[in-house]
Amino acid sequence: MTEKLREQGSIPVSKVQRAAKFISTGAKVGGNYVKHYAKKMVNPSMNKEELHQNNATDIYNSLSELKGSALKVAQMMSMDKNLLPRAYQDKFTMAQYSAPPLSYPLVVKTFQKYFQKTPEQLFDFFSRTAKNAASIGQVHQARKDGKLLAVKIQYPGVADSVSSDLKLVRPFALRLLNMNERELDHYMEEVEERLLEETDYRLEVARSREISEACDHIPHLLFPRYYDALSSERIITMDWIEGKHIKEWMETKPSQTLKNQVGQALWDFYHHQVHHLKQVHADPHPGNFIVQEDGTLGIIDFGCVKVMPEEFYSGYFSLIKPGLTKNQEELDHIFYALDFISDQDTDQEKMYFKGVFTEMISLLGKPFHVDRFDFSKDAYFEEIFRLGDRISNDPMFKKSRQARGSKHGLYINRTYFGLYNLLNQLQAEVVTTKPAWLS
Amino acid sequence: METATRKKTNTKDYRKLIIDGFVTHLLEHGSMPASIFKFAKELDMKEEVFYTYFTSFEGVKSAIWVRIFEDTLEAVATQEVYKEYAVREKFLSFLYTWIEELKKNRSYLLILYQDQATAFKTLPSDAREFKEKFTDFASELILEGKETQEIASRPFITEKYDEALWLQVAFVFRYWMSDRSANFEKTDAAIEKSVNLAFDLMGKSALDSFLDFAKFLYQTK
Repeated sequence: MTEKLREQGSIPVSKVQRAAKFISTGAKVGGNYVKHYAKKMVNPSMNKEELHQNNATDIYNSLSELKGSALKVAQMMSMDKNLLPRAYQDKFTMAQYSAPPLSYPLVVKTFQKYFQKTPEQLFDFFSRTAKNAASIGQVHQARKDGKLLAVKIQYPGVADSVSSDLKLVRPFALRLLNMNERELDHYMEEVEERLLEETDYRLEVARSREISEACDHIPHLLFPRYYDALSSERIITMDWIEGKHIKEWMETKPSQTLKNQVGQALWDFYHHQVHHLKQVHADPHPGNFIVQEDGTLGIIDFGCVKVMPEEFYSGYFSLIKPGLTKNQEELDHIFYALDFISDQDTDQEKMYFKGVFTEMISLLGKPFHVDRFDFSKDAYFEEIFRLGDRISNDPMFKKSRQARGSKHGLYINRTYFGLYNLLNQLQAEVVTTKPAWLS
Repeated sequence: METATRKKTNTKDYRKLIIDGFVTHLLEHGSMPASIFKFAKELDMKEEVFYTYFTSFEGVKSAIWVRIFEDTLEAVATQEVYKEYAVREKFLSFLYTWIEELKKNRSYLLILYQDQATAFKTLPSDAREFKEKFTDFASELILEGKETQEIASRPFITEKYDEALWLQVAFVFRYWMSDRSANFEKTDAAIEKSVNLAFDLMGKSALDSFLDFAKFLYQTK
């Protein structure tokens, strides 16, 4: 996995070109399967790891050239670790870090459009190259009145291409995620809505401010300040937060106390959002968190925020109630409410899915059933992956005609998987607080 | 009051007065003036004064293209960073600024060139002078690009590069004319992507190595 990211030559322009890109990837993936089975005939002991590896490389290369919403989908998939085999995950997590940069003249142009000034006129210093890539734009460093700032600039035309990009990704998602079409459309709508929100930088500033003010009391958290006068529909200016991404920070070998402190801050941050604000920073990928030397956790990028409807919230979190799995009647009630099962299912299907979901819940709810949970235990995550693999390969699961689970759950699941994963990366042991109404 | 200010500019710059008057007429009437006589009368000017500066409306239209181009170059030159840009960035910067200048004249341009059939006939002749000036500008960029190795020297083909950049300008213009996106964001994206493609093609690539290798095999056989 050490190969360097390919330097971006050109970005496919029109929808036709984008489509062509996907088709060529599709062909390559097909080819990989052919290769796999050919090799397997010669060497029956070969496992599917290599095949997944090849597919992941091709798909990743293709997606990374289509900056914008396709990249976003790659990110989403990389978060849903339970759904994807290992090889895909490693590749897709790379997509979270790098994307082709905007040229500096375009950056200048964007500034002129919204402020009638060049970045040099607006700031005392403005970096010519991007310091970080964001999925739908990039981040430059700037200085004004002695303060270091981060300036996020959005790629032009992303908002317009969200819908058409998602249509292009659809056949891929079908194949990759082992879903049927109906099931997919059920979720695509939700994804499209979130993506469109993410292109609205005004909304992002408003939400960032709202959530960071509401979470202000949580210790060891740091939020950047946002500057309205230097922000617009396509540009966000905020404080530059010094520090390291979690992965790099871990390489400095911090003490266990410090790791727990960061982990706890992260947990408390999510706990407060989910149970008190009922809206949550639904993009817990490593690039959005910055750890400072003293173990303060900086949180940036509130592009993706999921607001939970009340009835979904109470249903979903009833699932973590201790001892719930033993109360069949209450469990059935929740399963119906969350669309896990419906009356269209046959009795056999109902039985099967109840079993599957109960198993999943008791596994994923584990951290909630104890006072402190040690997320550094890889065995726990292995267990989740194994369950995910087993279920997604089960013919009973594959042939189900129904969409399962409320669409609101999509981003909440993603948030929790992301949170678990970050805590695992941090090797942290945290006090897993529960909402008061559950006990 | 109005005549007073007009008188003032009259003595200063007839040429500017004619150009501005022409644009205003087009914007207000949606069509070209019926004759030079009528147009001059509108401007309170003798017909022969018009002929001192232009011989036809085609000349005026041509001068407008040149003016947009020169304003662009001027605006580009005011940007401090421009000098530090690589050739690719310089060309990008030129196009982004040019589009901004065009935007100031969008209605005028739409009246004249929106109809594809007539634009096909009139545009090349109207823009001829602009093209000459642009080609000079482009040749300079290309020369600089060759010096900095951003552009690969290829026999025969390199000489056509200024022509290629002109085609790109034409492409951007047509794209912008029909762009319906808010703030012409799509045009921005189109510029970014097409210029990157053009400069990737002009830069040294695998194809050069391949040709070199093929030549070697052919010669040493």
